[in-house]
Amino acid sequence: MNLRRIAAVASKEWRETVRDRMFFLLAFLLPILWMLVFGYGLVLDVENIPYAALDRDQSALSRDYLYRFQQSRYFDFKGALTDEREADPLLASGRIRAAIIIPEKFQERLNAGQTVGVQTLIDGIFPLRTDITKGYVIAINSAFNEERLVDYISRRIGISRTQAEYRAQPIKLEVRYLYNEEVRSSWSIVPALVMFTLMLSCPLLTALGIVREKETGSIYNIYSSTVTKIEFLFGKLLPYVLISSMNAVVLWIMATLWFGVPFKGNLLFFLVASLVFVLSSTGVGLLVSLLVRTQIAALLITIIIAMVPTILFSGLIVPVSSLSPGSQFQAHLFPGMYYTNIVRGTFLKGIGLEVLWTDVLALALYAVILRLVGYRLFTKRPR
Amino acid sequence: MTTTARYDNGEAASVVLEQPIVRVSGFVKRYKKHVAVQGVDVAIRKGEIYGLIGPDGAGKSSLMKAIAGVLTYDEGTVEVFGTVVDSERAAERVKQRIGFLPQGLGLNLYPDLSVEENIDFFARLRLVPEQELLERKARLLAMTRLEKFRNRAMKNLSGGMKQKLGLICTLIHEPELAILDEPTTGVDPVSRRDFWSILAELLQEKGMTALVSTAYMDEAARFHRLSFLSNGKVLVSGTPTEVQALVPGSMVTFEASPQLEAITRLKQTFQQVEALGPRLHVFTKDLDPAQAVQHIEASLGDIKPDQVRVDDPELEDVFVSLLLQQAENRQVSAIPSAAKPTDNHGLAIEARQLVRDFGPFRAVDHVSFQVKQGEIFGLLGANGAGKTTVIKMLNGILPPTGGEGWVAGADMKTAGGTIKERIGYMSQAFSLYLDLTVVENIRLFAGIYGLDGRATDQRLNWVMSMAGLKGYESNLTGRLPMGVRQRLALGCALVHQPRVLFLDEPTSGVDPIGRRHFWDILSKLAREEGVAILVTTHYMSEAEHCDQLALMYAGRIVAEGSPGDMKQGVEKEAGHLFEVVADDPGKALLELRRAGFAGAALYGTRIHLFCRDPVRDKDCACGVLESSGVKVRSASMRPLSLEDVFVYKVMALERQDRATTQEAAA
Repeated sequence: MNLRRIAAVASKEWRETVRDRMFFLLAFLLPILWMLVFGYGLVLDVENIPYAALDRDQSALSRDYLYRFQQSRYFDFKGALTDEREADPLLASGRIRAAIIIPEKFQERLNAGQTVGVQTLIDGIFPLRTDITKGYVIAINSAFNEERLVDYISRRIGISRTQAEYRAQPIKLEVRYLYNEEVRSSWSIVPALVMFTLMLSCPLLTALGIVREKETGSIYNIYSSTVTKIEFLFGKLLPYVLISSMNAVVLWIMATLWFGVPFKGNLLFFLVASLVFVLSSTGVGLLVSLLVRTQIAALLITIIIAMVPTILFSGLIVPVSSLSPGSQFQAHLFPGMYYTNIVRGTFLKGIGLEVLWTDVLALALYAVILRLVGYRLFTKRPR
Repeated sequence: MTTTARYDNGEAASVVLEQPIVRVSGFVKRYKKHVAVQGVDVAIRKGEIYGLIGPDGAGKSSLMKAIAGVLTYDEGTVEVFGTVVDSERAAERVKQRIGFLPQGLGLNLYPDLSVEENIDFFARLRLVPEQELLERKARLLAMTRLEKFRNRAMKNLSGGMKQKLGLICTLIHEPELAILDEPTTGVDPVSRRDFWSILAELLQEKGMTALVSTAYMDEAARFHRLSFLSNGKVLVSGTPTEVQALVPGSMVTFEASPQLEAITRLKQTFQQVEALGPRLHVFTKDLDPAQAVQHIEASLGDIKPDQVRVDDPELEDVFVSLLLQQAENRQVSAIPSAAKPTDNHGLAIEARQLVRDFGPFRAVDHVSFQVKQGEIFGLLGANGAGKTTVIKMLNGILPPTGGEGWVAGADMKTAGGTIKERIGYMSQAFSLYLDLTVVENIRLFAGIYGLDGRATDQRLNWVMSMAGLKGYESNLTGRLPMGVRQRLALGCALVHQPRVLFLDEPTSGVDPIGRRHFWDILSKLAREEGVAILVTTHYMSEAEHCDQLALMYAGRIVAEGSPGDMKQGVEKEAGHLFEVVADDPGKALLELRRAGFAGAALYGTRIHLFCRDPVRDKDCACGVLESSGVKVRSASMRPLSLEDVFVYKVMALERQDRATTQEAAA
């Protein structure tokens, strides 16, 4: 190991990355852009569901029932219908996602102690959103039913409404959400996006940086010189590890200050763990770069092997524990999952090495194994 | 350890006979099933410039990479500095003593780094001590005149400058063996000459050895010894003189008319007959000039040769005749006569005071020329001289800033569409679809030009026999040899029977026989079909084929005329070209320059210089050498090549430019 040669390779690499406009954008701007785009785009909260209502009864009770929907922050009232046939085109065009139709004699039949069906049409294209919408409708509906029941009990037995409430609802649920107290999906998604962004930008930068030399032929300067394989790989990867570590800090700042996600853990632990992750994800890039010849191939392969498993198996959108056993096995093969545990753990749970040491160890193993494989595959005298 | 080796080396340079430092025997390299090199033997001695010459795909690069220790090989042995390079470990042992410049102009340099940063990177990679680096850098930058550009990013350098920077970076650690893969490809003749003289000087000074490859046959004379490669085999090896002696004979140049009839008659007896503009160029096996002329007159019959001149054959002629001996008899394609177009003897192309500005930069500056129907017109010039811009304007692709032009009777300003129908265009890149077969490509181009079914079949047959493509009909274009691919591209450019043909650097990477075949077709097209051809080229030996030439420099036409006229003009101005063979050519060169022969240049072991007065100056030069103790073996007059003309003209203009800028500065 000769430090002068490592410094020569590293400083050359740094200068090129900073001066080449493409690489500069890739290195410094793309991660920020990704964070912004996905941070706003990947929020899965279902709110402001556009809906329309048809009130065939036009009574005090029917208005009361519909008023509850208008009051909810989950629904956005788009207007009253005059005919059932108007609902279809509105739903088809996506202008509304739900329609509530109150039949004639709604009040009359309720007061007569009969059940009434309220027809609810819900756009079923996205099952997740549909389920959530249905859940909101059911919640509003049962709240209304409850009140009717409480009224009935208090009138029938002649007790106060409060007492009637106790009778109607003897057990009350008291739910307290831990870690993500307001159950905001952005709190859960944004820390994972730090993982996603680093998982994509580090290998991409590394793979393109090395393959670029292969493509132009400047790699022959390395092949034909006396610089050793270790010196070259060390010097070549150093700037990318530095840039990616800087990006980890920038992304942390964006997550906490811009997106307002609380950081409850130890910052030092987070930074060290991030460095280990950067070391392992640059290793992925190194591996790709040794297998392909052109930058375009490097780009495609990196995106495929870094992006697809990360979206599917890293716990970014779906928790690993709710995946099928086969998918869970695959999830353990990619570094993304371990770092997701680390970012969510440090941001939201405030835990550190005492819990997350297995994840850090897995990432460290990753970094070491990828480098060993890379060292074996890299040859200064190719076929 | 390395320093002592270097001293040994310096002393050893004067010792002529010794063990070769590179010994390659039975070298075989395969890429999957394709055999790139099959059984090559090469031995390189200390202190020499060894040349590998051959067309693209001959196997030069594979051999050089294997010697540099950056490529594995399949059979044979490669021994460098006494070490058998058969593993990565063994290769590492010799790498400090080797400098390797891979193929591709400036491709191994870092575009976003400055000239100085590039040099520093290479030096530090090789652990050159900082103090030595400073000294060497200063000297090499001064020598290559790159000093002013120290801080310029490499991507903003011209081709010639990139090439010189590549050389500096390869030699900064003062290797004992420099391996340079096609360092002169894609560079204009002036920069190329500059490069050779810098290389020769550096090698001489440091006692370095160099292995250099080139696709330019006319550079063969630059080497001490050389190997000519073709299809992965060495065809011939030795010193230029030895190679020349293998195929004894003479080159007879004369004018004869009617030219086409003369060629037909000559081809019955002689294998190598070339039309160079109005002149014919024939290789005979006779050594005696009188006998050679006699033989030619005999085969010409009643056609009388005019302005006969007999010279020694060039190395390129030797290579061609060696290749011909090897190859089975090639079919000579006859151009089937298409319906004769109306012969109006008008001008096919006329450019009048063309000007084109790009922002404040004037790319083309009042360019005027005329090309007659049936004429081959060559546009020469260094990269960036404005050749391509002129062609683009004439084709109606680029509007001119000023001036006017007519192509095939249409005004280029108003009738761009008409022009495109009447011209054929073929570029360096051969705009063919590599995944289509030969016939599919021709049909595609016929379709693009809107030929109907009957016309397409007719033209398809014409193109197939004109370009000698019979037998290749259903081959994929990507698998064709370069020479065949080039003829197919020409055929596609001619499918709609254009009256005017534009060729933009059409023959890069084609072997000499393929190139000659190509030019045979072009001159037939011009003579028989009356097609006007405008061609741009870097190969000065190709410019000889043109009827008229125009030399562009900095956007202007600075010289015009037939090749013969241009040579005569330079001979009048600068004198005749002499070749001096002397012991210790390095010292001889210095002495000659000191005596005032500024243009003296080293060609392998020989020296070229201009003498204004053939008798007096020659005696003077010989006297200078003898008095300083250099023995002169011979000094003889040589015919000027067009490259000499080009270099002379451009150098004169550059001097003029420098003088005016200095005046302006003062």
